[in-house]
Amino acid sequence: MAVKEKKQKILSREFPEYIRDPNPDVGLDESIKDLKPEQIEKTIMAVLGPQTARIRAVMETCIHCGLCAEACQWYLSSDKDPTFAPVAKMRMTAWEMLKRKGKVDAEFIKQTARIVFTECNICHRCSMYCPYGLDITFIIGLVRRICFVLGVVPQRMMDQDHSHATALNQVWFTQNDWVDTMQWQEEEVGAEFKNLRIPIDKEGAEVIWYPLGGEPKTNTYHIERTAKIMHAAGIDWTVAGRDTWDTSNMPMFLRDFTTMNRVVRGLYDNAARLRVKKMVLTE
Amino acid sequence: MLDFIRDPSIYNLVRGPFVWIAFLVFIGMSIYKVRRLYLMAMNEKVVLPSIKGKAAGRSILHWIIPFGSRNWRLRWPITITTFVFHIGLVFTPIFLLSHNVLWYESWGISWWSLPESVADIMTLLVIITCIVFFLRRIFAAEVRFVTTGDDLLILAISFLPFLTGFLAYHQWVLPHKTMVILHMLFGQIMLIAIPFTRLAHMFYFFMTRAFMGSQTAGWGGKDW
Repeated sequence: MAVKEKKQKILSREFPEYIRDPNPDVGLDESIKDLKPEQIEKTIMAVLGPQTARIRAVMETCIHCGLCAEACQWYLSSDKDPTFAPVAKMRMTAWEMLKRKGKVDAEFIKQTARIVFTECNICHRCSMYCPYGLDITFIIGLVRRICFVLGVVPQRMMDQDHSHATALNQVWFTQNDWVDTMQWQEEEVGAEFKNLRIPIDKEGAEVIWYPLGGEPKTNTYHIERTAKIMHAAGIDWTVAGRDTWDTSNMPMFLRDFTTMNRVVRGLYDNAARLRVKKMVLTE
Repeated sequence: MLDFIRDPSIYNLVRGPFVWIAFLVFIGMSIYKVRRLYLMAMNEKVVLPSIKGKAAGRSILHWIIPFGSRNWRLRWPITITTFVFHIGLVFTPIFLLSHNVLWYESWGISWWSLPESVADIMTLLVIITCIVFFLRRIFAAEVRFVTTGDDLLILAISFLPFLTGFLAYHQWVLPHKTMVILHMLFGQIMLIAIPFTRLAHMFYFFMTRAFMGSQTAGWGGKDW
């Protein structure tokens, strides 16, 4: 008979109320081993140190009323555990970092990364429930940036970011794979529709269509169907021939500004180069 | 123990220079703080261009009206408490008869004042709602987790002028003059504290609301 194993809980040194089930992740557990205190301090002060208007507005206005709690799906779905409230997440991460002027250890960074990456969806709902409309998500985003710069990010998210940095899409697709997939799908649809084309890099088209990374990789029928819709609707459309075709901007969720910038710039560059009138994105 | 505070020279000090200091610091620092946040927002480049006047105005209006926003309707006990508290906190001192008399004696100006019984009830309501806020800080789990020392401090700063004013009006606990001096001191502390503590939400409210109202309007939504 299987004996129910007594699970070890994750406890926090700073916040006794913070109790979680273990969630082992190489990205969090292994990457903190090389962190040095001065490196952590420097990173935190570089991101949170220059107190810009948006940071200050939150720090100097938040009255700790807890009215944002009801907005958070994490809070509502965790039996109203106070440590899941948006303001509590700020308190356990950014406020504590600022209070200690960045002098925190690697274990604290791991806890912070767990909070901002795995217990917050940066959905902005808390700002809509805050009586002052404070941008809590912005603060969580800055903390995510600290964790990203330190390399303490859940492995899957970091992998997607690396993929974007390398191939400009989240599925490690090369440009060859992309063009080949488009041509293969054109062939497939050709059996059903006469004269159906998937135009690649057609200059002066009306619409440029951008898929999400997963579509050419695992859900190729999406491409086929989009082509059918465009064909039936009689739209003059095209897809990008370069490797800037993926609209899923995963670096944004890590606040990897460089890669995030490259992804968006690539989409607009295509549109400008091909002189299209509209960009159509999958969501 | 409090004999020294009945000294007429202390009364003159509290009634004279301290009032000047309190009002000058309050007004000067408030203008400085708002201006500084505005200039910082200007430096940040993305903040000010995103402000949309109409959306900002609607957001402020919806949140300043009781039950005007979704969260006010969801949390109606808090809504009633907070609006009773803030209306009492802002309007009682401005329209109190005794305060008007002081303005008239000093500068010969006066304006409409509340009937004494109404002002008395409003003061009592501020005291009661302050206690409700305090109890909420202790007993509501999500609030207790984020409560720090300065939350209790700013609650006390806004509570004490009203408590001492109420007691002075009814001439309870301490001799009237002692209580009035304490009341004026606490009032001045509160005025000075507003720009330096998170009581600054008094004017930051409009700026942060304007920003978030415009942001959500930009996403095609609304934040009330």
